[in-house]
Amino acid sequence: MIRYTLRRLILLFVTLWLLTLFLFALNYFFPGDALTNMTGVRANDALAYQRLVSERSFDSSLFSQYLAFLGHFISGDWGQSLSTQRDVFTDLLPLLGATLELSVLAMALAMAIGAPLGLYAAGQQRGSMDRVVMGLSLSAYSIPVFWLAQLFILFFAVKLGWTPISGQVNPLFDIDVQSGSILLDILLSNSPYKGAALADAINHLWLPVIVLAIMPATMLIRITRNSMLEVLQQNYIRSARARGLSETRILLRHALPNAMQPVVRQLGLMFSILMSNIIVTEVIFNWPGVGSWLVKSIYERDYPVMQGGLFAIAALILLVNVAVELFHAWRYPQVRKELYAER
Amino acid sequence: MSAILDIRNLSIELETENGPVRVLDRFNLQLAEGEIHTLVGESGSGKSLLAKAILGFINPRWKITADRLWWRHYDLLALNAAQRRIVTGRDMAMIFQDPSSYLDPNDKVGAQLRESIPTGELSGVYLKRRVDRQTRAERLLHRVGIKDTADVMERYPHELSEGLAQKISIAMAIAHNPKLLIADEPTTAMEPSTRGQIYRLLAKLSAGQGMSILMITQDLTAVIPESQRISLIYCGQLMETGPTEEVMQKPYHPYTDAMLSMSLSDQDIAPKTRLPTLSGAIPTLQHMPIGCRLGPRCPYARRACIHQPALTKQQQVQFACHYPLHKDSEHD
Ligand code: SF4
Repeated sequence: MIRYTLRRLILLFVTLWLLTLFLFALNYFFPGDALTNMTGVRANDALAYQRLVSERSFDSSLFSQYLAFLGHFISGDWGQSLSTQRDVFTDLLPLLGATLELSVLAMALAMAIGAPLGLYAAGQQRGSMDRVVMGLSLSAYSIPVFWLAQLFILFFAVKLGWTPISGQVNPLFDIDVQSGSILLDILLSNSPYKGAALADAINHLWLPVIVLAIMPATMLIRITRNSMLEVLQQNYIRSARARGLSETRILLRHALPNAMQPVVRQLGLMFSILMSNIIVTEVIFNWPGVGSWLVKSIYERDYPVMQGGLFAIAALILLVNVAVELFHAWRYPQVRKELYAER
Repeated sequence: MSAILDIRNLSIELETENGPVRVLDRFNLQLAEGEIHTLVGESGSGKSLLAKAILGFINPRWKITADRLWWRHYDLLALNAAQRRIVTGRDMAMIFQDPSSYLDPNDKVGAQLRESIPTGELSGVYLKRRVDRQTRAERLLHRVGIKDTADVMERYPHELSEGLAQKISIAMAIAHNPKLLIADEPTTAMEPSTRGQIYRLLAKLSAGQGMSILMITQDLTAVIPESQRISLIYCGQLMETGPTEEVMQKPYHPYTDAMLSMSLSDQDIAPKTRLPTLSGAIPTLQHMPIGCRLGPRCPYARRACIHQPALTKQQQVQFACHYPLHKDSEHD
């Protein structure tokens, strides 16, 4: 396990390093001045610009420019926004919190719906309910998220008026941004109306969370069902039956843990898909997260922000994938053998 | 002979697109208490189906008929599914080739072993039962010849060699002291030394506690000396059965003869290749010959062979052939 962990971590760092190379190169491919693209400081601010030229080694070779870039990048100096002049890194953290909140809730909801429905469908194999569940999940899987989001807004927010159209919380509550996660921020705040604010935030939250959860939930239904059906065919389940173990024990102790193995393995992939959906959803719901921030920066050609957003999302996906892989290998020791034939 | 398992004229018919096919055709088998009986047949000969029929793993679409299918004093065909499960669950157990696939890959060996000990045999309150279970599991491992029990119990199935996995399967199978153990090619794909260990273990268990063993194998090379009796099956028909010595020394049946010369001439022949002394290949399910199913491949076949030969008894040996290789002078 230690060897496996090390391998994964090394791979993670190599990928992250390649990502910095890519970001560094982008500054030269973007139109305009590379130093401005990198730091957000324009050449007409002569004093600051001159200082940066030496600080960022722009009077020296490309290689030392990269080293300087890397040094600044690691120390959290990601430049400033071209449009707002605010520091990219400090802006990013609460946005990341908001995005994480959305994704964690959506993922949790997807699991809460998807896994039990998949198991249910497996239990009803080829019965009419199995067909209904699988049919529904296939149709839901095929709906593009931007369309679904707008449809939901039109129906639940505009037509029924159950929920606000956009945003995180009513600004009247005047919640200070700390972690970026609105629920956490309300709990951390000293607002006298915590309860009301919380209710309002949840009212804002549930629609985007459902929109986001649908895609991973449908994937979970299919994966869970198929893997459960496959596990039930396995020799060890049949021999457990032959040995006279109770059906509950067979299901809970032997079938379920094994059936969840491919599900766990797919969680990383599901998260990646969720992240690409989250960008669109944040824009539509005007959610102050990394996704909408990134899209806005692209419209405004705000290159420092674009880099920060790209790196944040890519790093998040990588981190989650590695974490899922490590958990998978830890929980299911037999896969380590498949991976490296180690004993 | 007091048979605890008595099978007379057992037939199994499967429904296929081209009508019913008899995969087991009037099969006979008698097994005495504490006896090791080896059933030899190539793949597709119906030997695994026979094991399933005995254990009651029956597909409802199969048509099973028999003059007798008795286990001790139970008429197995007269029991309903639930009663049958109780009888077979209590009295019988089975081990297989590829033993590790019969162990849950996600659960430690110790946990699975403890689980296989019947709860009814434990007494006392929760904690005492737990300790009891543990000591019984250890004793089971000792019985199958595993000394380092603590180490093995902590392992996952993928950390076991095939030989060790088979020993653990055996330990789990004998946890409730079955009276019949069916071993379906238990040593396929194992090294010769491991193979020997497993066979010795099975023979010891049989002798030690009067457990009958039905050993199912592909060919005659795997017949162990402890096996008292042997039966050869070809395409669902019983060819020859009798005490191992006599059948191997002086076979009556052309099929036995062919299998014998194969096992002598080429010990390492790959499975499913053509037999060196029988021309042709094993017929498919859809094209079963009528009469003696060995007919198309039998060098001695004549016109009478389109009728299925009845079992002929010569002393201890029984065979189904119109033209046996020799006649016993004293009895004919
Ligand atoms: S009955 Fe005929 S075909 Fe069958 S084994 Fe005997 S000689 Fe051969």
